[in-house]
Amino acid sequence: MLTLVRIQSCLASMPYIYFVANLLTEILPCGVLCIFCIPADIISTVEFNYSGELLATGDKGGRVVIFQREQESKNRPLSRGEYNVYSTFQSHEPEFDYLKSLEIEEKINKIRWLPQQNAAHFLLSTNDKTIKLWKISERDKRAEGYNLKDEDGRLRDPFRITTLRVPVLMPMDLMVEASPRRIFANAHTYHINSISVNSDHETYLSADDLRINLWHLEITDRSFNIVDIKPANMEELTEVITAAECHPHQCNVFVYSSSKGTIRLCDMRAAALCDRHSKFFEEPEDPSSRSFFSEIISSISDVKFSHSGRYMMTRDYLSVKVWDLNMENRPVETYQVHEYLRSKLCSLYENDCIFDKFECCWNGSDSAIMTGSYNNFFRMFDRNTRRDITLEASRENSKPRAMLKPRKVCTGGKRKKDEISVDSLDFNKKILHTAWHPKENVIAVAATNNLYIFQDKIN
Amino acid sequence: MEYKVEAHRIMSISLGKIYNSRVQRGGIKLHKNLLVSLVLRSARQVYLSDYYAGVCLNAQHIEAKEWELMDADREKLIPASEAAQPSSADCGVSEAAQPGQTRTTGGAQLCLKRHVGAEDGRASRLQEKDGDSLDPSDVAVTSPVSPAISETQCGSSDCETDADAAVTEGDSRQPPKDHACSHRKRSAEETGVSETPVKRTKVTPNAIVANNEIEEGEEMDTSNVSNLITIFGSGFSGLLSKDSAKSESETDDSDSGSGQICCEQMLKNLNPWTTAIVAF
Repeated sequence: MLTLVRIQSCLASMPYIYFVANLLTEILPCGVLCIFCIPADIISTVEFNYSGELLATGDKGGRVVIFQREQESKNRPLSRGEYNVYSTFQSHEPEFDYLKSLEIEEKINKIRWLPQQNAAHFLLSTNDKTIKLWKISERDKRAEGYNLKDEDGRLRDPFRITTLRVPVLMPMDLMVEASPRRIFANAHTYHINSISVNSDHETYLSADDLRINLWHLEITDRSFNIVDIKPANMEELTEVITAAECHPHQCNVFVYSSSKGTIRLCDMRAAALCDRHSKFFEEPEDPSSRSFFSEIISSISDVKFSHSGRYMMTRDYLSVKVWDLNMENRPVETYQVHEYLRSKLCSLYENDCIFDKFECCWNGSDSAIMTGSYNNFFRMFDRNTRRDITLEASRENSKPRAMLKPRKVCTGGKRKKDEISVDSLDFNKKILHTAWHPKENVIAVAATNNLYIFQDKIN
Repeated sequence: MEYKVEAHRIMSISLGKIYNSRVQRGGIKLHKNLLVSLVLRSARQVYLSDYYAGVCLNAQHIEAKEWELMDADREKLIPASEAAQPSSADCGVSEAAQPGQTRTTGGAQLCLKRHVGAEDGRASRLQEKDGDSLDPSDVAVTSPVSPAISETQCGSSDCETDADAAVTEGDSRQPPKDHACSHRKRSAEETGVSETPVKRTKVTPNAIVANNEIEEGEEMDTSNVSNLITIFGSGFSGLLSKDSAKSESETDDSDSGSGQICCEQMLKNLNPWTTAIVAF
């Protein structure tokens, strides 16, 4: 509850709503809806649910904060679609593996929502080792008038009861409860990097560095191992699994990406163990750009299917690539996110930034993609018009009612006004996690411990 | 030259990262360590190819033959070497060299020092054995290949045995060295070097080859660990007391005359070990 109060006070002190002219009318969300500050903890994952009504964030401290969109009302036209804190709970605690003498971080690596089937909401959250299924439900009624206990909850003396009454349900302040319904533990030796709910709504997969397991949502003591790339001799290890996702419509298909820049599509109908892929996506490396760090920057940090299921998008360190599932030898589109960093790879290696795992996301209609960068910049690419824009998620540069300007990084030569030179980028301010509302132009951008929510200009 | 400095710097940084990853919360991250070891390997290849520039083509050709030979030997020994060691990229690797100071992190520096001490004996022995007739190409031949095998069995034990043979003579750790020397011998034969240096390498181990066959097995086991220990410096001090004691004596005995080559040796050793580190 303490956390809840602090977040609310952040909100109270930031009544700003920012607007900016529609620059890319097709895709661009323009105004800052709300900025949430999650004190003390770095946001590690952001995810909208299937309807977009709820937005979940996980942080390094193992907490999950869920925001709910306010219903539009005529009384407060400006608050159309504002997100307010709905629920906060501690999902994972730090644990200790006594056998290996290792501490297991409580940081939430991924959150995935389940499709809503009743009044309650369900989500899966995972840290390095354990996946939990949480039920988030509302309670707005309470039973009053018990016979055996009084209003404080203390037991009554049975001899003093002279009459009997039927307890009645009385309305109460809305309370949102989160309870863990399933705990899927002890199935992963290595660090879990992805979870993905299957389109059958009954199973989901979890992937660690070397293995992918298939679970049934109801069964916690068993999981099927469907991919295992661990070599017999660990010293022959050359690649690890970096991300995995289920196909949005075909419940037998999933993909996983590797640290070598390859993506494998597997069909669970082909075999119980999907070590042999059905499709293998790889773009040949450009030999002229080889360097010490070629392998690191080709490692894929995120893979996402398009909503249509026809395409998938991969993010490596410097670029985003869109692949047609029917074409394996090269991507159909490649977007450079921050090519100006290519000459700085050595320094980025030294300060560990080269290992940052950026995520990427599609908009609801698959016409645009978004990903993060450094200096709190994030980039959006329109696939149809091939236009792109760079925006900054920062309080200092956003005044009330001001325009949110597109930013530009000066890559060389004379620096124009308003441009930022590559050397003055702040590499500690990175946007790794972004999410796009499944239906509308609302985006959530996590900048360290601040969550920014942007929306189309209200007109 | 710039390539070399840059490569060396990157290797030091990589070692520092591997060292620091041990103390990170949440355990060692396999993905990150794998990437770091790949960078380490690339930098090492550039470093070595730069040093032996001009003969790398020759070395690669011979290396290819070496691998076939080594594969056969591998079964006898601890399979600690890498399965695939890309050798083709050596000459082709180009890097926008950024001339800078050679910096080492604390851990890397420490391990450099210890390996300078450890390797000195072997390096100088290699040199004096091979003499002038063995130009750097042959050293290049042996070094990328044989460390993968020989060092994997012996590591610092190997160095120790060399130094022991040089200093004290008749130590019990000859068998690992024997294997190393025999590999060197074979590879020297492959290159068609004159028999004289080969014979010289044979002389010392042969005398003690019969001894301590039993010790061989456990020697190799502990050698892996002890080499890891020396890489990671004082963090493990006292864990394998006799090994670290030997290393200490190494440092005392040797001078840094052929320091550069010793670094070479150490850095060639690194490759199998970093993968061993990654393999947890």
